[in-house]
Amino acid sequence: MARYITWRLASAVFVVFGVSVVTFLFLHLEPGSAARTLLGEHATPRAIAALQKEWGLNESLPIQFIHYISDLVHGNLGTSYIYQVPASRLIGERIGLTATLVALAAIFAVLVTVPLAALAASHKDKFADHAVRGISVLGLGMPSFWFGIVLIEIFAVHLHLVPVGGIGSGPAGYLESLILPAITAAIGIVPILVRSLRVGMIDILDAEFVVTARAKGLSERFVLVSVVARNAVVPTVTLLGLNIAYLVGTTVIVEQVFNLNGLGSLLISSILNRDFPVVQAVTIVLGTSVVLINLATDLAAARLDPRIRLQ
Amino acid sequence: MTERDIHRAPITRRDIFRYGLGTSAVIALSPLVSTPSGAATAPVTESLTRRIAHATAPTRGGTLKFARSVAPTTLDPANTIIAGDIYTLDKIFEPLYVTSPAGQLTPWLATGSTLSNGNKTITFPLRPGVKFSDGSPLTPADVVFSINRSRRNAAGPLSFLDGAITSIEASGSSVVVKLSAPWAPIISDISVFANAIIPANFGGKSEKEFFAAPVGTGPFTLSSFSPDATSLTLKANPHYWQAGKPYLDAVEFLYVDNDNQRVLQIEGGEVNIIDTVPPAEVASLKGNANVVLEQFPAWEVDLLVLNESLPQFADRHVRRAITYAINRPALVHAANFGTGEPGGSFFPPSLQYYSASTPVLEYNLSKAKAELAQSKFPKGFSTKILVDSGNQKFVTYAQIIKSQLQPLGIDVSVTGLDHSAFESTFQKFDYDMFIDYAINDISDPDEMASFEVDVKDGGSSSYWSHYDNPKAIALVHQAEGEFNATKRAALYAQIQSIVAEDAPFVALDYPPYIYATSKTVQGFAVNPGGAYRLEDVWLT
Repeated sequence: MARYITWRLASAVFVVFGVSVVTFLFLHLEPGSAARTLLGEHATPRAIAALQKEWGLNESLPIQFIHYISDLVHGNLGTSYIYQVPASRLIGERIGLTATLVALAAIFAVLVTVPLAALAASHKDKFADHAVRGISVLGLGMPSFWFGIVLIEIFAVHLHLVPVGGIGSGPAGYLESLILPAITAAIGIVPILVRSLRVGMIDILDAEFVVTARAKGLSERFVLVSVVARNAVVPTVTLLGLNIAYLVGTTVIVEQVFNLNGLGSLLISSILNRDFPVVQAVTIVLGTSVVLINLATDLAAARLDPRIRLQ
Repeated sequence: MTERDIHRAPITRRDIFRYGLGTSAVIALSPLVSTPSGAATAPVTESLTRRIAHATAPTRGGTLKFARSVAPTTLDPANTIIAGDIYTLDKIFEPLYVTSPAGQLTPWLATGSTLSNGNKTITFPLRPGVKFSDGSPLTPADVVFSINRSRRNAAGPLSFLDGAITSIEASGSSVVVKLSAPWAPIISDISVFANAIIPANFGGKSEKEFFAAPVGTGPFTLSSFSPDATSLTLKANPHYWQAGKPYLDAVEFLYVDNDNQRVLQIEGGEVNIIDTVPPAEVASLKGNANVVLEQFPAWEVDLLVLNESLPQFADRHVRRAITYAINRPALVHAANFGTGEPGGSFFPPSLQYYSASTPVLEYNLSKAKAELAQSKFPKGFSTKILVDSGNQKFVTYAQIIKSQLQPLGIDVSVTGLDHSAFESTFQKFDYDMFIDYAINDISDPDEMASFEVDVKDGGSSSYWSHYDNPKAIALVHQAEGEFNATKRAALYAQIQSIVAEDAPFVALDYPPYIYATSKTVQGFAVNPGGAYRLEDVWLT
């Protein structure tokens, strides 16, 4: 097990390195500069060149890349061109919000997915099954930014139950302002989760150990709760783990719609402003967390299901 | 803006006009709101009337919550061009003159100005009794320090405005500014936020310490500032020189970059004012009884710029043909939801010395065809329009222009790039045509005239068009040295006329600044430069 984890962590380093190389290249090949944003359109070419030089952007791309990687190895994520503060500070201030949002969304997704999938699986090809599958197709076709706006209109603007956007003060206010965003983000993955889990559950329902349990004369309720559901936990965890990467991507849009100052909105604004150090730093952090979540998922699945052997 | 609405702070002053996310969805649903012709000044009148109606009884106290599409990153007036910075620091620091909501230069920390020495020396007596927010008095030394700091700052985005100044000295309770040559825009230049007054030598602090806890003469002060925070609170300055003002106890600026969020926040009553209302939302907000929609004329014009380094656009007949072929009222009607006015002169009507009698090449397809027939490209050609893909209005404009140029045999393809890439592409002249907005930072039209006409010294090769008309350039320089208002007006009318006839770019429309406030907000007004002074605002 320890060897497995070490191996996975080592490969994670390569994945993150790959992500940072691609980000670096794409960013620097894209035209545009933060210098123009900061200095305005009246800026003389000299003033722009001076600022580019200060940032080391006058060097050749390979040299810039070497500087970037060497800083990275020393744990230095760089300094934002626009805010003039370390990128690590910007990320530190925002990562908690995004992590909470992703966690809440994952919880909502599970709370909605498991009962729906169980309902559909246990009523295979009957009305309830068709209804669940139909609704989830509908959910799949609904853009999350639109769904978010609809939720805001109903629950914030008209019913005043939650704030329109931004983050509230105190732990209660904090959670309260994350309810709608978490639901919005969850809606993006629920249809996929429901459909996959339904198939997983149907497979389990047809499995020999379920047939055996029924043959023993156990009640249907007991079979569903103690045999089927228990065995369905593993595919749920695996699916959820796989979809968390997607969820992290969704938060970029959800944070915009709900005016949340998380990593997603930082990433987008930094891309638009060509604030290279921040884009690179956020990408590395997001890439690392996705790799770690996947690892944690595999470990959890192995723990839950003794049949899974990690090598 | 769309996904670009998504911008965090560093939206420059030019970007304040970007409209966005979701506008296309609303197009089908929103009834077009007609605007009376010549309405460019109407919104201001309306707003001033509203102010006067309540002027009898301003109520004191309260916190104004203001959701803006822009956030501050620095409060140093001499080192920024970012909208979120400018419209925050101008509440803390003030210049010698300001521009009123009606666009007039108004003595502020100076009580006026006198010219001497053949218009090469200008004396500003300082307003007596003005104090900084720490209680110390404003002195001529502070003014000398501040303007010298600003004009000598090579990296200062607007330091070029002080280019005519050779020296500035204290003289009794006045400051004396000497110019290299007579320079008519000088007071306007002095009024720019970059020339705002800070205490000499930062009041004994380091520059960094000072701007983290700034001290100014403005109506508000700041308790703390973090360049990456999502909100910023200003408190009333107890030493403010206008007795009894500001009326508000505090102003909380919230950074809300998403258009829909801002609109929902004002609808939900969570904030008192929002900026940059998308034109598509105007109709629905007008129908909301708790919200007041305000439009203020801007020193802005949206331009279709033609690249004269290409043979097609070097041909004056082609440029005139394109101008004749573009139906600007239809364009504004289709994409602006009743906001803004169709373009004519390259000067917006709100700008000083705008000439209403400019011989604009109005939409006329037969004249367009006749012009093209006289050109070297009588059968048309293929070309491209470059747009900022995040600017929904300009993307719509490009599509409409594409269809409007089809009858001429001009086959247009539209290329969209994200804002930063878009800007750097046209600034490298790597384009055929592009759509962008030109703005004036100060009340004097010289900035816009030289930036768009003076190909050599204007700073942008005539707004990146390469347009070069020596007669127009000579007139621009002549107007810079002309102090007589009537004569200056005549010179600028001539310039506008030459540019209209040469058609180096097509003035598509004049968009307004659009704000929404809650019914409780009184006395809010925006000047054509986009600045709003909050000492006159109160809450009922």
